[in-house]
Amino acid sequence: MERRLPQFFFALSLIVLALMLGAVWQAGTPAWKTYQQEFHRLEAVGEPNAAAKSDVLNADLVIRQDLLPGLQRVDRCTTCHLGVEDPTMKSAPQPFTFHANLGPHVPAKFGCTVCHGGQGLATDTQNAHGMVSFWQEPLLPREYVRASCGRCHKEGEVPGVPELTEGRRLFETQGCRGCHKLNGVGGTIGPDLTEEGASRRFPEWLERHFLDPNTVSRNSPMPNFHFTKEQARALTFYMLSLTSEQMGSYYSSVRSIPSAGYGRELFVEKNCIACHSIGGVGAKGGPDLLGVAKQHSPGWLDEQLVNPQTIYPGSIMPAYDLESNARKAILTFMASATAEDAQAILSARTKPLTPRDAAIEAGKQSFARFGCVGCHGLELQGGVPNPNSQGGEVPSLLHASDDYTEEEVVKIIQNGKVPPVENAKGPAAPLYMPPWKGVLTDEDIHRIADYLWSLQKKKDAW
Amino acid sequence: MKRRSFVNWGSAGLVALCSAVSVSLAAVLRFLTPSVFYEPPQTFKIGSPADFSYGPPTFLSEEKIFVFRDREKGFAVANAVCTHLGCTVGYFQSDDEFHCPCHGSVFSADGKVLHGPAPRPLEWFEVTLARDGQLRVDKDHTVPATYRLMV
Amino acid sequence: MNPIRDVWQSIFRRDPLSTDKGKSELVFLNVWLHIHPAKVKKENLKVKHTFYLGFITFFLFLILVTTGVALMFYYRPYPPQAYQDMKDLQFVVYLGSFLRNMHRWSAHGMVICVFLHMCRVFYTGSYKRPRQFNWVIGVVLFLLTLGLSFTGYLLPWDQLAFWAITVGTNIGSYAPLVGARIRELLLGGHTVGQAALLRFYVLHVAVLPAVVTLLTMVHFWRVRKDGGLSRPVWKLKEEKAAQLVTIGAPEPVAVLAAAPASKDKTYGLMEVVSGKPIFETVGMEEEEDTVFSYPYAFFREGVALLVTVATVMAVSLFWQAPLEQLANPAKTPNPAKAPWYFLGLQELVSHSALLGGVVVPGLIVLVLIAIPYIDPNPSRRPVDRKWAIRAFTLFVVVNVVLIVIGTLFRGPGWAFVPPWVHIVGGE
Repeated sequence: MERRLPQFFFALSLIVLALMLGAVWQAGTPAWKTYQQEFHRLEAVGEPNAAAKSDVLNADLVIRQDLLPGLQRVDRCTTCHLGVEDPTMKSAPQPFTFHANLGPHVPAKFGCTVCHGGQGLATDTQNAHGMVSFWQEPLLPREYVRASCGRCHKEGEVPGVPELTEGRRLFETQGCRGCHKLNGVGGTIGPDLTEEGASRRFPEWLERHFLDPNTVSRNSPMPNFHFTKEQARALTFYMLSLTSEQMGSYYSSVRSIPSAGYGRELFVEKNCIACHSIGGVGAKGGPDLLGVAKQHSPGWLDEQLVNPQTIYPGSIMPAYDLESNARKAILTFMASATAEDAQAILSARTKPLTPRDAAIEAGKQSFARFGCVGCHGLELQGGVPNPNSQGGEVPSLLHASDDYTEEEVVKIIQNGKVPPVENAKGPAAPLYMPPWKGVLTDEDIHRIADYLWSLQKKKDAW
Repeated sequence: MKRRSFVNWGSAGLVALCSAVSVSLAAVLRFLTPSVFYEPPQTFKIGSPADFSYGPPTFLSEEKIFVFRDREKGFAVANAVCTHLGCTVGYFQSDDEFHCPCHGSVFSADGKVLHGPAPRPLEWFEVTLARDGQLRVDKDHTVPATYRLMV
Repeated sequence: MNPIRDVWQSIFRRDPLSTDKGKSELVFLNVWLHIHPAKVKKENLKVKHTFYLGFITFFLFLILVTTGVALMFYYRPYPPQAYQDMKDLQFVVYLGSFLRNMHRWSAHGMVICVFLHMCRVFYTGSYKRPRQFNWVIGVVLFLLTLGLSFTGYLLPWDQLAFWAITVGTNIGSYAPLVGARIRELLLGGHTVGQAALLRFYVLHVAVLPAVVTLLTMVHFWRVRKDGGLSRPVWKLKEEKAAQLVTIGAPEPVAVLAAAPASKDKTYGLMEVVSGKPIFETVGMEEEEDTVFSYPYAFFREGVALLVTVATVMAVSLFWQAPLEQLANPAKTPNPAKAPWYFLGLQELVSHSALLGGVVVPGLIVLVLIAIPYIDPNPSRRPVDRKWAIRAFTLFVVVNVVLIVIGTLFRGPGWAFVPPWVHIVGGE
């Protein structure tokens, strides 16, 4: 040992030196540098002269990042995806391809991951695309990317993404809230969906789940709603949009898209037809609005919506609290609104009802909105499987009057009911009636009971 | 083994160790140099040429620059940060000058110090046309006051 | 009048290393090296006796301090920036992932090596008189090493970190009377949150390293004062045995087998001071048994250092330290496990909280500290210490088995699931 000690020491020193150089080499040759060099070669082709070419070829290789404090993100995608804003790269191969239709969503202001998913902090392909364990937001497949529009644009229609509106509609009418809470309202049988877009950002899983819950979630009590592929996709889009994006003021101020469709929605919501007419159709309380966009400047019209008193002191038009894009939407609608639109809006209004009918109608709407149809069916027919409950399925409500008084039904809605078990030794039935006391007012509950009683099929009717 | 040979090998080993140490020092320096900056970027786009009017310069408050557009000569971008102690200067159209509110430095329209404590003229930044047709300003590259971008 | 030589001599005052005087002066005129004796016994250098574990542990500590300081330039101890900084270290910082890996693997290595060092010291009986107190300092250093590893474990602020520390601090809170209070002081609150992260960070980078450094200095100092590095005294030849003199042993002088002897290698200076030194020394010149520290000891230490550094670097080049998803207080992973060195305790706690969390670890620490004082056997020779060696080996084996069970055989719900069984539906 003594003899060879110095050689050993020397050899080890060389090994340590080699390992150090190995570490330095590993740190100095990340994949992104290769991509940047490749891009510079592509760019150089388009340069007019040798000096410009050489400038481009010798440009520094740096990590490029978009700092987005308002979205609480840091995106480094443009380190490799260098051609995103370069129209000459339309036919370049990925990762250099030009990104068409960015519109206002430039990387400097929005980054990339808020729409496409992935891990913005990373600088190698696998990690940046989020295809690694412990990253919950992998790159969205191409056909689902538009679902991300709903992360910010939560109200109103999104032009080009009808799936979001359809998904929202399906959620409200198919009774999902009966089992799932959303933003604090709903049942407790299934998981809370308020953050579903953040916690389960896997579109293929979500779509398979909507087509048949039991294929992805074994022994799930969720019934099979027999959605079509398009409906499942629409609902998946809606699920992907359920995130709580914490946005800086810049983003929240431009959230709504000032489209004519959104403007029409607002026109109906704010009930403008109650005072105004379009092309003679409507009310006479305020001026006719046909062609108003041509008669006044956008600034004047905007001011009118912000504070009517400034333009017409003593006007009876209320000052609506609308943010700037909402006002732009109304004006966009006004630019193309015709008498036919006014007629359609008027016809869509419901006719006045007797108090009893109004209560039943309100009950019917609550029954759908709070998700009762999810378990009890759109026609109250029941039939959803509920293993080990007496009867084996969720009961139909069409014969409730045979077994209960209306007051008893009100109590059941208020306090909930666990169905009696068929086999005492077996597990409890997965589906149960949740208590709605804290969620629905007593008035709402009575109206639901009225609605149910209005539909009862009496035994002696048979 | 002979003591001399032992020491020679030992010294060679020490030399290898020392070179390892120098590689480490160089690596340490590179390690401490930041690869990304948690600050607004030094290179950024300010919009398309059509967004800027001729005549008095457009002031961009967040980026702290003045954008000049001249009918004959084109675009120029001046740094709005006073070279004295860093306050933001203002442009006064009446005298076609930049005035600094902090200690009274006055600069001409092309950045030369007219009077006041400022030691150097205002900096001018390189402005180029990006491939998507937007103007790109690079604060890492200063250019002479005569630089113009013709579009 | 050679100016270069004058400059050199103003810095390096010693004689050239080719002379014996120079070799000695390199040691006792040098602030970094003078903890060494100028000459060591050849047996002190035996690899198979100590395996240089003490040195390796110390070198790992040096690697940890260096890489740790480097990492401090890029790490902010505030959630959630802490997690983002870990990602930055991995993806953006030059050599960031390499340094982080080095730090993590050295940390695991140091826990293992300090334990192995303790085992070696026990097996060679090197804790016996006069080295009892140095053993106690060693036990304290061992506990501090676990503390450093534990405080560092939280810093990445991922699910692994968050829940390991939640479980670990909960185990600690079972201690009677003071458990809950200690947990409150550690966490700066009721649960693991930003206060806990900051406190753990300060403990990890400032308080514990300072205490460890100070105690290490005492530990090394005591090694020298108690008679130098360990060597297998029982292997000395018979004829030497008669020449050796016991230190502070009761009269009459006994033969080697019954009384351990160590020759104190003290400096000449100490013999000049009047009054009786603590330990009687009888200088027996055994030239043929001693060698100069330079180059023999230093080159061996250098080899140990290089082997340690090379191993840590090689592992760091190829194995990534884990980083799971961002810490989420609302989502407990199932199972939630303490760091591996506490898994033995967690296994015990799963059977009985009081036993596993308080009694057993408390007893272990107390017994460990007491070992040198309750051991009546003065011999260091293995054949004379069979029961002590068996008892200690049992302790080590039980520990290892418990940790292996906790790591590999405990699945969701702390159910006993062998590692070769694949769990369906796990996260």
